[in-house]
Amino acid sequence: MNALLDLLIRLFPRAFRRQFGADLHEQVRVDLGRAERRGRWPALAFTVWTGLDLIRSAVAERLRPTWVGAHATSERVPGFTAAVVVTLGLAVGANAGIFSVISAVLLDPLPFEEPDRLVYIAASAPGSDFPDEFPVSMEFYVQYAEQATLLDGLATFNSFTATLRVGDRIERVRMSMPTHTLFETLGAEPILGRLPEPEDGEDVAVISYALWTTWFGSDPDVIGKAYEAINLPRTIIGVMRPDFRFPNDGVLLWIPSEVPTEIVPGRFGRRLVGRLAPGAEPEDLATQLQTLASRLPERFGGSAAYARLIEQHRPVVRPLREELLGHVSGPLWVLMGSVALVLLIACANVANLFLVRTESRRRDLAVRRAMGAGRGLLIRTQMAEAVLLAAWGGALGVVLAWVGTPLLLRFAPTIPRGDSVAVEAPTLLFALGLSALAAIVCGLAPAVRASAPSLDRLRDAGRGHTRRRSWGRDGLVVAQTALALVLLVGSGLLVRSFVKLRSVDPGYDTEDIFTFQIAPESEGLSDGPEYARFHTDFMERVASLPGVESVGVVGELPLDEGVRGGRFVTEDRQADEDEGVLLNYTWSGGDYFSTMGIEVRLGRAFRAADTETDLGNALVSETAANLLWPDQDPIGRRLRRERSEEWATVVGVVEDVKQYNFRDAAEPLVYLPLVGPTPESWTVASPGYVVKTARAEQIAPEVRALVREVAPSAPMYAVHTMASLQADSMHRLSFTMLTLALASGLALLMGAIGLYGVLSYVVALRTQEIGVRMALGARAGEVRRMVVARGARIVAFGIVLGLFMAAAATRALGALLFATQPLDGITFLGTAIVLGGVGLLASYVPARRASSLDPAACLRAE
Amino acid sequence: MAEIPEGMSTLEYHVLLSMASGPRYGYAIKDAVAAESAGTLQPRAGTLYRVLARLMTHGWVAEVQTGQDDPPHPGLTRKYYGLTATGRAALAVEARRLREAAALAEERLGLVEKTG
Repeated sequence: MNALLDLLIRLFPRAFRRQFGADLHEQVRVDLGRAERRGRWPALAFTVWTGLDLIRSAVAERLRPTWVGAHATSERVPGFTAAVVVTLGLAVGANAGIFSVISAVLLDPLPFEEPDRLVYIAASAPGSDFPDEFPVSMEFYVQYAEQATLLDGLATFNSFTATLRVGDRIERVRMSMPTHTLFETLGAEPILGRLPEPEDGEDVAVISYALWTTWFGSDPDVIGKAYEAINLPRTIIGVMRPDFRFPNDGVLLWIPSEVPTEIVPGRFGRRLVGRLAPGAEPEDLATQLQTLASRLPERFGGSAAYARLIEQHRPVVRPLREELLGHVSGPLWVLMGSVALVLLIACANVANLFLVRTESRRRDLAVRRAMGAGRGLLIRTQMAEAVLLAAWGGALGVVLAWVGTPLLLRFAPTIPRGDSVAVEAPTLLFALGLSALAAIVCGLAPAVRASAPSLDRLRDAGRGHTRRRSWGRDGLVVAQTALALVLLVGSGLLVRSFVKLRSVDPGYDTEDIFTFQIAPESEGLSDGPEYARFHTDFMERVASLPGVESVGVVGELPLDEGVRGGRFVTEDRQADEDEGVLLNYTWSGGDYFSTMGIEVRLGRAFRAADTETDLGNALVSETAANLLWPDQDPIGRRLRRERSEEWATVVGVVEDVKQYNFRDAAEPLVYLPLVGPTPESWTVASPGYVVKTARAEQIAPEVRALVREVAPSAPMYAVHTMASLQADSMHRLSFTMLTLALASGLALLMGAIGLYGVLSYVVALRTQEIGVRMALGARAGEVRRMVVARGARIVAFGIVLGLFMAAAATRALGALLFATQPLDGITFLGTAIVLGGVGLLASYVPARRASSLDPAACLRAE
Repeated sequence: MAEIPEGMSTLEYHVLLSMASGPRYGYAIKDAVAAESAGTLQPRAGTLYRVLARLMTHGWVAEVQTGQDDPPHPGLTRKYYGLTATGRAALAVEARRLREAAALAEERLGLVEKTG
């Protein structure tokens, strides 16, 4: 007991022990004796509480001289404290916020069993006219699943929108039809019910937790009930866990898809997810799959073109994580890098504030040193202050991140797993780490400087400043300026890309166009002409709504849906059946082209009123026309789908449109009429409607009422305006641009404050010198020039350094840029000028103060 | 007179109060504090001596030599602490403040007739 007590007392500082050690010892012993007389438990309680009290007191006492000092100093200079806390708070907050997003979206493992073994499998065929990468077809799946020894599981997957009907509730929802092997491959278990078996066929469904809680009120009895999805009743057999989302967040149910008994090779469009056998590498698997794929034609047959394609085929195997999250990781890391730069700038700024203050207190410190205060104590005092301020800054940062991150995410594009972003333990730890780092970076250099103020400082009464010290401060401002320029250039490049992307002509208008889809498939329509009549009648009703100028319909609306691809043969070169040209195709009807503002370059568009007369006609886009009939008049020529007997005659050539986004070049496109070449050809089941009206933003309820009237069980969905689709398509860029603009704005502000602070200090230090100069006849202008020149020199150094750093850094923006080079001269020059201007402005304020000094007062100072 | 920036705590007040009639040693201070606060303050050793250290730093309390040394064990001399002049003044100021505050409370609660 005595030994323990001695040990606890030893925790106190020596001076304290010397004064109170014996008394402490005696008092604890007497009290313990009293407690022991009252029993074992009171004695134990006394020991514990007294022990804790001694530890707490000892720690507090050890910290007292420095902590009291820290409090006292920061209270004395309120401006200083506020500047440091706010600067660090903003920087830590920005970092913590972006980190919380990165942590939830990118760093958390995928919610599947051993997610690192999951791979995405697709195909490529270098040298063919196929895209760089494309999904495989069913025979690949069969071959791989049966024969790939390096795979422990394989499944196809997709996601699409289709109609789900539960009682009166009919909606278009996202669903997926994977092979039943999907769940086993991912290693996912249901929380309720069971997973599909091969014998279930396609009559069952597994539903998501989200669907279960929203549509079914978490009713466990839902298992075994059948509901209509994609026009057939499906029995619900299982409910998945809340974190099971595949392949993307919005999918609400999974219906197993059977492998057809008769496989037609070359029907590409199946995406594959596989589980690597333990120890296998993606590269090994790719090699094995290549061998397996090369034997496909001998097993499944297919055309000569298919055999040629298989010869060129190279499997694509990459981590599933990359496939699911790859598209957001680039922008997110760019943002993380930017806010890290902001933190560096903030640290430089705060270190500078500390340095400036240390300078102003150096006489005081020298006195303390002379009176015997140890170096260690002085460093500790300074560091304690830095730690305290950084802690406050960190706390402010966490609050800012907590408040700001949800706000920021509102402007964010649909980030996968975005709803699981939360400022939680990892983010708090991150913020804590950053604050500690900031404290060290900000406090250490000034602390060491402060601990060694030479005694000369006392003698020269604190006048004059050495070059070495001013270089430390100037260097920090140079670094700050350079880093700020890097961020400015980065956001400048994004702004330029954004402006260029906005001014791209996509081939259609985006103003005053309301769009939506309906799926009349559930209306009992059976053949092409019935569908066509339905669409035509419906369009007439919509056109009669007030304020509607025109109405059109298209199979796949640009920016909303992808078009299909197919091989087309023309009359001119039908020699080889397999030499078809790969083109996109869609259907259109009504006044589609005039509504969308797609120009007819040659011939005519389809006629809105008379669908029958368009039987067997087609329109081609300019790119398609050039591809099929280079330098010839395409009007009157005929083309048909490969392996189809129905020819279509080209009656017009229309402007190219950008289907997927404004970045990619327009692809060749063939438009077929709403009613096919023959009345029975096809049914356009869920097309997109376009409505030209100045009331595009408000007309939705009226259209919805109309839909309910003509097709009560056909849900209206994908309700947009072309303007909002355009904004959505730029979201990734605009979000990154917005965040980076915020970061660089912050950087610019901090850089300016840093420069202003340093120059103000320089002016204050040289007050006497300035006074002498002015007393000797120097004019105000000269004094101003002197101060501004110094600021300009610092900024110029920073800008030159920053330009080099930016040149190295902007490559990270890579795919975000559009029609803008990473080394875009105008952006570099422009941002340098802006930064230079701000720098001069920040210099001018202290310069004015210097030139307005009263010489007499200056000389009297000190 | 030196002021403790955050004002005087109740414990500090009672520690000062315990020495107002003459110097006391550590354990006696503790007992006096407990008795004079009607048992509401029972400072543990570490807390008590920290308060003492703090009051000494402020110059309100100092160690004093007394003639009445009565060692509990041979070889162990007790340290006695007493109020300095500023300590007395500080205690007086605080006592007046407390009295005024107490009077105000009694008046507002209607415990005494309003005077003047």
